[in-house]
Amino acid sequence: MKRTYLIIFALLVLLFFAACLCSLFFGGSSALDTGTESGRFILYQIRIPKTLTAILSGASLSTAGLLLQVLFRNPLAGPYALGISSGASLMVALCMLALQGSALAVLSFAGRSVLILAALTGSVLVTTLLLLVSKRVNSSILLLLVGLMIAQICGALLGTMEYFADPSNLKAFVIWGLGSLSGTSTSDLPVFGTLVCLLLLSLLALLKPLNALLLGDDYAQNLGFHTPRIRFMIILVSSGLTGICTAFCGPIAFVGISIPILSRLVFKTSRQEIHLLASALMGSSLLLIADAVTHHVVQGSTLPVNVITTLIGAPLVLYTLFRTKQW
Amino acid sequence: MVNQVRIAIENAELGYRGASSETGVLSEVNLELREGEFVAAVGLNGAGKSTLLKTLCGILAPLKGRVLIHNKNILEFSALEIAKTIAIVLSGKIEGFNLSCFDLVAAGQMPYTNSFHQLKDEHLRKIEEALMQTELGPHRHKSLHELSDGLFQKALIAKALAQQSPVMLLDEPSAYLDYASKHRLFALLKELAEKQGKCILVSTHDLDLVQRYCRKVIVLANGTCEMLRIEETANNPGFRQIGGKFL
Repeated sequence: MKRTYLIIFALLVLLFFAACLCSLFFGGSSALDTGTESGRFILYQIRIPKTLTAILSGASLSTAGLLLQVLFRNPLAGPYALGISSGASLMVALCMLALQGSALAVLSFAGRSVLILAALTGSVLVTTLLLLVSKRVNSSILLLLVGLMIAQICGALLGTMEYFADPSNLKAFVIWGLGSLSGTSTSDLPVFGTLVCLLLLSLLALLKPLNALLLGDDYAQNLGFHTPRIRFMIILVSSGLTGICTAFCGPIAFVGISIPILSRLVFKTSRQEIHLLASALMGSSLLLIADAVTHHVVQGSTLPVNVITTLIGAPLVLYTLFRTKQW
Repeated sequence: MVNQVRIAIENAELGYRGASSETGVLSEVNLELREGEFVAAVGLNGAGKSTLLKTLCGILAPLKGRVLIHNKNILEFSALEIAKTIAIVLSGKIEGFNLSCFDLVAAGQMPYTNSFHQLKDEHLRKIEEALMQTELGPHRHKSLHELSDGLFQKALIAKALAQQSPVMLLDEPSAYLDYASKHRLFALLKELAEKQGKCILVSTHDLDLVQRYCRKVIVLANGTCEMLRIEETANNPGFRQIGGKFL
């Protein structure tokens, strides 16, 4: 049993490195030539930041998805499907609009910090709201519908803001709203990386309670855990991961929901530490590959990364929906 | 020899605390459960059986009065200490997340494992023991949704056994079970109480099983409850009310 897992993990690590190379060398419209000055510039200023962004956001979104699925005890929970990404996006958009024309440039360090805080606020708000709803109605389908409605409302408000946005900012605004891995610059990466790593490290303290929560709140309490505190911690970490990722990349679809599902299909275990590690690896790989693919589907232009993640993720979600007995 | 008192409720009112209001379910509750006792809590739907059980294990705080474990207020115990003293079995299914029968029983050892829930030899031994006592050995690798209702109920009891706690509280464990499984379940619980000295409280609607296997009954009727010996139930108005004209 343990040995099969090790072999699969080794394969996942290989896949991850292959995906990194794929994103570095095929993650653009033209082939990379490191022999020239411009080739090196592209590599260091564009490709490497984008690859690192894909790794960070893939890992954070899929682990956030896993946490949410345990928190709601629902295989169909995820930062995007439940509208948490949308909540974060809406707050970021609000801030962008407020910062427009002000002295605080959006791309400055202070501007970025404000955006991250806004995204965090949005995602924590939506998650808390969903948790209140899930206490009243205990149905996966209803929870998904509520999430969908939240996403729709946020989307409508976002659309309105785009309508009134300053034309010079509109394109950046829309591209960010579609989800993009290329919006992070080299100066953003240390902040992005540190925050994600800190949040992922804090998961070490949550491993055992996560496994206990699989049985339900009351059982977890009876097994010696302070359930309300644990739920609060999980909300904080999962919203944190989602919010930070959204602040830098915009809403990325379906990675958070589909990767944990995939992980449970591959690893037939209930141990969440295995799923956390597997989700982080698979999530990063998926985004890296999705990013590389976006450049080669339509000759001469780049598709939004969400097109690929949705095409991979949505069928998995449907599959799970129709065999809920065995997830 | 006088049995050591394990758990008690004194002058309590039980119910739920809302944001602004309190909903009382049971008042003037005075109960005492001792080592080696197999007690049943009976009452009509909504009489407060689950409320009583959840209060006894500290998930719900009493509106008034107090719950005592070994003569000490339950509020003075940490969640971990309570976990090692009282194990609960709730009604309702646990599903998904690839949980297997073994995983569920192994969860019972959580109060004793390290912060990564690493199962060492001593933990595995306790889990095996619990699986043996409930005859779940052959089903250990089955995933929870593959277990029949009877086997699932046994798996929950095995989890409670693996928790090594002297007190076990079970909420309607016989619901959904077929006739033979109900009898096997009650026989198992009676044996655990008598042979291992566990203090076991079950809530149930199966009055005939109660009369056959339990020595004491907690009757929940008219907003309060009282503890009776099984011989006293025949003439008890509350118990007769629960049984209707069919008893």
